[in-house]
Amino acid sequence: MKKITIDHLPRVEGNGGITAIIDGQAVSEVKFYINEGPRLIERLVIGRTPEEDVSLTPRICAICTVSHKLAAVRAMENALNVQVPHQTNLLRELMHMGEMIESHSLHVYYLALPDYLGFPNAIAMASKHEFEVKIALEMKNFGNHIMKVINGRFVHGENTVIGGFGKWPSREELLWIKSRAIQFMPFVYKTVNLFCTLNYPDIPEAETQYACCLPPHEKYGFWGDEILVSNGDRIFREDYRQLTNEFVVPHSYARHSRYQDKPYSVGALARVNNLGERLEGEAGRMFRKYFNDHWKKNPLYNNAAQALEILYCFERLPQLVDELLEIDNTPEIVSYQTQEGQGTGLVEAPRGLLIHHYRVEQGLVKGADIITPTAQNAEDIERYGMIAAQTLLDRGEEEKIRDRLDIIVRAYDPCISCSVHLAEVKTVEETAWENQLAEIKRQASPLFIGIGNITQGDDGIGPTLITKLKELGIKAVCSSELDTQNIKSLVNSDQPFIFVDALDAGKKPGAISLIPLLAVLYSSSLSHRLAPFIQNEFSYSQLKKSYLLGIQPRSITKQQHLSPEVSQALQRLIDQLEN
Amino acid sequence: MKGKKLKIGIYELTGCAGDALMILNCEKELPAIFQAVDIQSFLMAKSDNIDDELDVALVEGSVTTEKEVEELKDIRKRSKIVVALGLCATVGGIQARFQDPQKWQENFRQVYGETKMELPAVVSKPIDAYIKVDFYLPGCPISKEQFLNFFTRVVKGAPPESYPQPVCVSCKYKENDCLLKNGLFCLGPLTADGCGAVCPSHNLPCVGCWGPVQGGNWTSEFYLLQDKGFSREFIKKKMANFAGTKLSEFWKQFDRRD
Ligand code: SF4
Ligand code: SF4
Repeated sequence: MKKITIDHLPRVEGNGGITAIIDGQAVSEVKFYINEGPRLIERLVIGRTPEEDVSLTPRICAICTVSHKLAAVRAMENALNVQVPHQTNLLRELMHMGEMIESHSLHVYYLALPDYLGFPNAIAMASKHEFEVKIALEMKNFGNHIMKVINGRFVHGENTVIGGFGKWPSREELLWIKSRAIQFMPFVYKTVNLFCTLNYPDIPEAETQYACCLPPHEKYGFWGDEILVSNGDRIFREDYRQLTNEFVVPHSYARHSRYQDKPYSVGALARVNNLGERLEGEAGRMFRKYFNDHWKKNPLYNNAAQALEILYCFERLPQLVDELLEIDNTPEIVSYQTQEGQGTGLVEAPRGLLIHHYRVEQGLVKGADIITPTAQNAEDIERYGMIAAQTLLDRGEEEKIRDRLDIIVRAYDPCISCSVHLAEVKTVEETAWENQLAEIKRQASPLFIGIGNITQGDDGIGPTLITKLKELGIKAVCSSELDTQNIKSLVNSDQPFIFVDALDAGKKPGAISLIPLLAVLYSSSLSHRLAPFIQNEFSYSQLKKSYLLGIQPRSITKQQHLSPEVSQALQRLIDQLEN
Repeated sequence: MKGKKLKIGIYELTGCAGDALMILNCEKELPAIFQAVDIQSFLMAKSDNIDDELDVALVEGSVTTEKEVEELKDIRKRSKIVVALGLCATVGGIQARFQDPQKWQENFRQVYGETKMELPAVVSKPIDAYIKVDFYLPGCPISKEQFLNFFTRVVKGAPPESYPQPVCVSCKYKENDCLLKNGLFCLGPLTADGCGAVCPSHNLPCVGCWGPVQGGNWTSEFYLLQDKGFSREFIKKKMANFAGTKLSEFWKQFDRRD
């Protein structure tokens, strides 16, 4: 068994990794994990004032600090019934654009592009692409400048408060932002053309669900009071739990989420998929020019979507400044008296939907719930990692797995501080199937399903084991005994199942492997015999906890008995399952 | 710096990656930095990283897992100079509030339940809880100017400047109206200066994000704030937000006396 570990993901913001374990012809595990320890931010704010909360929570992440600030402030304003004037929202939007420009330009040019051009980092890339590297740095600097002018500092600025701003920027500062934005336009077009025509590999490709904020007034944008899912579902902000449904996984300090039991993705690609039709002007024209079916199922296109959003921001900046300049009297901070309430703030961080929810009692925070984009993406990162690794393995391109995993994680632009560094690929001789099996049995009692033919030598291992298990009183059936009726009840039961089958994994006869069913599903060679069974509407979580227990046969010929090696394997399995 | 370039490593433990990001935010100086020194490891910026002997290690973030304890000790062993970068590394960060192990446990369980985590966590601490630190550069996050100043000196082999004054000093230079005098709760007198009094210059009180200033007169500030009508509880909480582990001694003595 091989393990591919990218233990410290380079060029992502923070500290996390991804590991893949390869057992013969199957990928037996892909895990995206966050090395960073717990910060318990949601607990730190309990008993604090709303003002303290909005200055503490942005510290979750430096690169999304403005988004966290906005999500926190919007949640508090909803909880405490504070309505800010239109002008305040305009200035907030301008500030938010600063973060999008800074984060997207850093990501596409510095973190992602070196992958596609074959450099270890952007500085090395500068030897050949000096112009791009230099101007991209200036673009990033410009985004930072906007945040500094409006929020007080590049990172963790405090000028944004509940009800408004501590200080309003001067007309000169706003005008400078507008003129500078216009100067960047030629480079912005270049950026869109570059990233929309990059040669993105077609592995992995698979449909997924996308979620993002639904901005008001049929416009494109980065906040709203509803969530839009790609299947058309709309969720009001206070019902956000319908979408996120978080759960704890042992390998990461960021909790994972699924929607209707399926992984989903958030981020620039989700926004462009869900809202691209709303893009106007040049961004709309570019969307219609470049958008195609790959964008709907290939996470690597996130970089193209980010480039499109850079253009959107640069077109929006001058408009925003013009609107802001029409204001004669800058608004005061809206004060409030409310001491109780509950509310949610939805914002699009550069890397996707960000949710803050608070409960305030007697002027102090009593409950806090913060759901970060990277945590929501974690399940899909693992799923796409699995698809890519298994597909490459099937094609005999195992050596590509490590880099591909790296690129997938990076495409999601995770800010690992979302709680979360890299890829590791491990090959194992034999999976630690005993421990895994014991763990599966500990969590739920699975149903064993045997496949095979006892008149075909080692192919009889499945049915033979099932017979023994039945004698032991363990829940087991042969696939031949299954009909539509009992498959139906299995589909509805949420019970995990374990297929037992002879599996030619190119190993020593009698070798045992335990492979997640998802890997089997994504494989072009492994899935045939299970196909009629798993076509049924099993839920993702049921499939995710189900496995294929494969035994390497010595020979599959017409004979009634198992080879000595497979008989030994049979005995090992029985010993293990008995206790 | 004759001939040989200094070997530098930039490491991130648990935090928001803000200090590493602030280094990347030195857009104009970045190419020069990469030329002046040999950056051996900087996860956020490059993938060809090597973990070898270093002249200077810059460490951001607080220590929150057993694995990080090991990593940190390894960094110390390999490096001539270790610098604590940012509030998390210098004082433990905002996440260092729960120092009492039992309290920490309770809060941990509220978030992660009973799941047994693969990377065992520990109570959040600044890096000097585990290793000797040569220099501190506080801030949440660090400021660009302070960093470049610090970095240039270290590269030239000069000792870095220290910043012993509170935020109030910069605030006075900027001729701001004092917020404390106007009855607002401002932590300027107790907070290390490094930002140039940004918040007061935006009409907003300092929340203390550079951490406690060396030699701050905590007791007198405490009474001053009490006289202004703030409750003991309120003051304590506000002071604790960005002080990490650094005020625990003060509170022990203060509570005993009071
Ligand atoms: S000190 Fe502040 S800026 Fe630095 S990692 Fe900690 S929270 Fe982030
Ligand atoms: S909170 Fe205080 S130390 Fe932090 S930026 Fe504001 S004024 Fe400076």
